[in-house]
Formats: sequence, structure tokens, C-alpha cells
Amino acid sequence: MQINRTGYFLVALFGGLGLAMCAVPALAGANAETSLIIASTGFIFVLTAIGLGLYARHAKRKAAHNDWIFQNGIRGTATLLEAGGSNTTVNEMPLMKLQLELDFPGIGKRQVRRREVMPVFTAHRMEAGLVLPAYANPENPAEFILVW
Amino acid sequence: MRSALADLGATYAAFAAERGLEPVPALGLGALTPLLVESKHCQVEPAARGRLGGEVDGVVGHLAYKRNRTFRFNVALAEVPGSTQFVPRLFCVRKGRSTRDDEFYGFEARYSKLWTESTALNQRYTISTSPYQDPNWMRQLFSPALVDYLASAPPADFSFELAYGALLGSVEDDDPGPDGLAALCEATARVAERVAQECGE
Repeated sequence: MQINRTGYFLVALFGGLGLAMCAVPALAGANAETSLIIASTGFIFVLTAIGLGLYARHAKRKAAHNDWIFQNGIRGTATLLEAGGSNTTVNEMPLMKLQLELDFPGIGKRQVRRREVMPVFTAHRMEAGLVLPAYANPENPAEFILVW
Repeated sequence: MRSALADLGATYAAFAAERGLEPVPALGLGALTPLLVESKHCQVEPAARGRLGGEVDGVVGHLAYKRNRTFRFNVALAEVPGSTQFVPRLFCVRKGRSTRDDEFYGFEARYSKLWTESTALNQRYTISTSPYQDPNWMRQLFSPALVDYLASAPPADFSFELAYGALLGSVEDDDPGPDGLAALCEATARVAERVAQECGE
């Protein structure tokens, strides 16, 4: 997953609004009870923004790592042995459970399971026998990226 | 609306007769590409099947769906067997094309990246692939001849989506007329032949 422009807008909105709700009532001289109620709601907004920000940072690092594997990895193939949906969707995109046979030169063949969030049209095309490109991490061949 | 559909039916009948295609009232194409998935039933109506152009066979039809408003496309579908292991997904979409306007998410799966190496194509299309598509293969596919062709020859609203061996060319005209359908089919066939050629090398 990666954050997009809408996501950055939401993080900024929750963060800014939350901070304002924490500070403005007290600065404007509202009574303590009102300030506390509004500030506690604002605090939840700030926590939400921080959580989204941390998740975005984690996603960015993971993407950079996968890019490194793609650029430096060993190219091979992944043959789809079995594919099934998990009844879970993210933004209307199904989470697919894949069983794959990986084949990398110098490493050999092995079977692995993988879960991927995929667009609907991709999920429909995940059928046994499909051969996809894959790249293995040369420093840790157990780690790979699947090109789908 | 009924009159517009009748006109479209007449356009497809005339086009099918002119090109020797088999007219079909309606055809379910399946959830093969992103544009087809936008339409709930992935159905084209009216449609015709047969030779699109060159040596490429396929289906041409009218796709309509509602996502807040009604979107209408005319599409041509062809198969490019064997392309998946070289280029699982390749989308070349006219800049500014809208296929939905009812959903906005803050986070999205990282499933595509832009390919921006051709200035001529950048002016007209947004090209995207898998984030891990081999860039060398892309450079070979988009030969100068293909770039020149895509930049100048197809209808102005032409786009194509290649996904797991299914190639869908499309234009946004509500009723492009027989000449417009012929241009759509020829552009789709041309892309299909070029992808197949590059996969074979």
C-alpha cells in the first residue's frame, strides 16, 4: 500500500484540525470542561494522523526495499499453482491467497504461499498455470517480489 | 435514448457488413481489463466479432456503465497469447480520460508505475505498468515506429489496456460511425501485432 494525494490531505486535515481543537478553546478562554471535551476529541484526531503518517512511512520503506530487490535481484519465474480469494477487500481490491512454484537460476525450485492485494481484473486472471516474472533477493533468496 | 441505441445498432450493423464481421446483439467479455471491470457485467452491446485488422481476430462492441454518471466507450478486444510473462500489464490511456468519479481513497495498493521515457507519447497518453516491469523490454516494445504510430495515427481518444494477454483498445465517442470503429479496430490490431512480435523475439 502507498499513500496518495488524498491520503496526504487526510493526514494534514486530521493533524491540523486535531491540533487546533487541542489548543484553540483554551487559548480563546473557554471554560475548562469545554476545553477538555474538545481537546480530547482533537487528541484522537492527532493520534489518527500520527498513525496514518507512520503507516505511510512504513509503506514507503517497504516499497524502496522492493525496488532494490527488483533492480539487484535474480530474475526467475513464478508459476501459479493455486489462487483463491480470502473474502477480505482493501479499497474494493480483493486480498488473494496464492500458491506459487518459484524457479530462480542458481537457487532452484520451491513452493511458497503468498498473499497479495490485487485489483479485481488481476484477481480474475489468477489461474493455475499462469507464469509470472519474479525477482529473488540475492542476499536472502527466501525473499522475492512477484511481478503481476 | 432508444433512438441513440438504434443508431448505434445501425452503425455496428453497417460496420459488420462492410468488414465481413459477425454481428452479435450482446456479448459478455469477462473482467479482463480495468475498463471492463468498471462495467458491472463486462458486457458489450451491440457487438461484432471477426477480423479486426491485419492477422488479428477479436470482438468490437459498445460498453456503457454507470458510476454516478453514465460512461460510454467503444472497445475492441483481442488476445495476445504469451505476453503475460514479458508484460503482465501495460496501460496506455489518453491523458485526461475519466472512467469513474465516485471514489477516492487515501491509501492504495502499489500496483503500477508510470513509464515516461517517450516525450511524444507523454504528450498524449499516460502509460503505466507493473512497478517491476522490465524497462529494457519496454524500450524495445516502444520502437520509434510504434511511438510514431501511437503519437499520430490512432483516433484522438484512443487508449489501450493490455492485461494478462487480453488487449482492449477503446475510444470515447458515443457513436464513432463505421469509420471510427474501423480506426479503433485497426489501431488495436496494430498494437496487438507489435506486442506479439516483441514477445516472439
